[in-house]
Amino acid sequence: MSWLIAAVEWQSRAVVSRHLRVYLRNWHTAFLPPALEPVTMLVAFGVGLGGYVASLTWQGRPVEYMTYIAPGLLAYATFMTAVFQSLFAAFIRMRYQRTWEGQLTTQVELRHVVWGEVLWAGLLATMYVVIVAAVLAGFDLAGLLDMRTERLPLLLPIVFMAGCGFAALGLCFTALMPTIDHMNLPVFLLVLPMGLLSSTYFPLEHPVLIALNGINPLYHLAQCFRGILIGGPVLDHLAAVLGLSLLLLGILVPLNLRLLRRRVLGD
Amino acid sequence: MSALLDARSLVKHLGGRRVVDGVDLVCETRQIVGLLGPNGAGKTTTLRMLYGFLRPDEGRIHVDGVELGRDLVRAKRSIGVCTQEDTFDGDFTVEQNLTVAAGYFRPRPTGLARRVAELLERFDLAAYAREKPETLSGGYRRRLMIARALVHRPRLLFLDEPTTGLDPQARMGVWDLVDGLRAEGLGIILTTHYMDEAERLSDALTVLAHGRVVARGTAKGVLGDLVGEHVVVVAATHGEAIAGWLGAHGRREPASVLGALHVPVSGEELADFARAFPSLRYEVRVPTLDDLFLKLSLSP
Repeated sequence: MSWLIAAVEWQSRAVVSRHLRVYLRNWHTAFLPPALEPVTMLVAFGVGLGGYVASLTWQGRPVEYMTYIAPGLLAYATFMTAVFQSLFAAFIRMRYQRTWEGQLTTQVELRHVVWGEVLWAGLLATMYVVIVAAVLAGFDLAGLLDMRTERLPLLLPIVFMAGCGFAALGLCFTALMPTIDHMNLPVFLLVLPMGLLSSTYFPLEHPVLIALNGINPLYHLAQCFRGILIGGPVLDHLAAVLGLSLLLLGILVPLNLRLLRRRVLGD
Repeated sequence: MSALLDARSLVKHLGGRRVVDGVDLVCETRQIVGLLGPNGAGKTTTLRMLYGFLRPDEGRIHVDGVELGRDLVRAKRSIGVCTQEDTFDGDFTVEQNLTVAAGYFRPRPTGLARRVAELLERFDLAAYAREKPETLSGGYRRRLMIARALVHRPRLLFLDEPTTGLDPQARMGVWDLVDGLRAEGLGIILTTHYMDEAERLSDALTVLAHGRVVARGTAKGVLGDLVGEHVVVVAATHGEAIAGWLGAHGRREPASVLGALHVPVSGEELADFARAFPSLRYEVRVPTLDDLFLKLSLSP
């Protein structure tokens, strides 16, 4: 169980602290995407597409389309931030910057590097969601959305947990893909379809998609956020998010360690 | 007093192959041990086991009295590693590279600001403290790599080909620094492909071939044991005659370099060679570690 204990050891925190230091130094560029992305999405999907859709039915009552996608945006931001951080940024640190190799010459071990990447992606996703949530609160204040804004802080621990689970998934491809160009495979075959077909931007009605989404943590995350922010069932989706995230971590972190031991250490 | 590094009977299999086969290595305080061998001899794998990157399949490694397999974290507190490739953190400046690296050690290095300033000064990096490492020349990058390996005041330093790719002036600069570190009491394990570097810096050599230690001792002793007392250099056009003479002495064909045969011989063999080829023009020189590498790479 040393792989699990490593999650709370100081070396993993030292790795997270290194990533945070880089992020905060570039705050002026790092804060822009999460602030601008929801604005773009709300304008494109909400105002643009929303002009045609106007409203749809959620839990038996009509909901404005912009209000419907706002929680989806938060779930989408959690997923994309964590997965892209553990796919591309981690791959660059591993392969091109050789940051991992430098860390491994110290008291940091591979299990700390892996947990450091996972925890950092979870933390980064949480910070992104805070910014997206602030933008959404502004829209709500302007009367463009109808959400229970005061409940937004409740989402943060859920975002962190789900972000860590998504990061474990992303890191698995980082361990497997031979070059950065190969990242197109998981991005187009898994990440984008999963991001769009998880009730994030529109409700799902096709029975196959509904069945598949039973084991899709992003679907449960979007539905959970929707339940918290605009009213609806929460507990089942929350239990599914936490359960599936723990499952992803419990299966993929040891697998990632095994794959990366071979790739990074040559063992 | 126990040795700083004491590695016994190391064995490692990689890809189903026995890459390291029973290697022993000892390094004391104020000693530089040169770890040599041709490509594929098992140097890098041995080194990676010694600094805790890889776990040996068999054998034990003690660093400063702590067994690596039992308490890797504590053992690694005494180790500094300068890898062959530049692995500094490109997201940080030269100075920040030292402070960030210090954050990966517990107990934390005391007086860190003073230690960083001291290293920047000593390694001639103070003028570049706020620059990104990629703006440095090759020689200064290596200086940064060594400085970073020392930030937590280790007792044992691993230098994996520290001067590869450097110009002669930069190489000599690194030699001076390494020599100074030995004088301060560090134990140093050095791998290099530059034979003059190994001969000048190392107090003791360990030579690997096919995953095994084939010689150890001083450069002179190792050469005497494995190569011979002299090397006869003769034009390759006399190859047939030389091969016949070597065959009569139960020896294999010698190395051929740029149209000349380099024949390692003992004192007695040299006298016999002179009697056998009285009219041949040849040169006699002292053997170097290059001869040793040539011999090892030719041996099956």
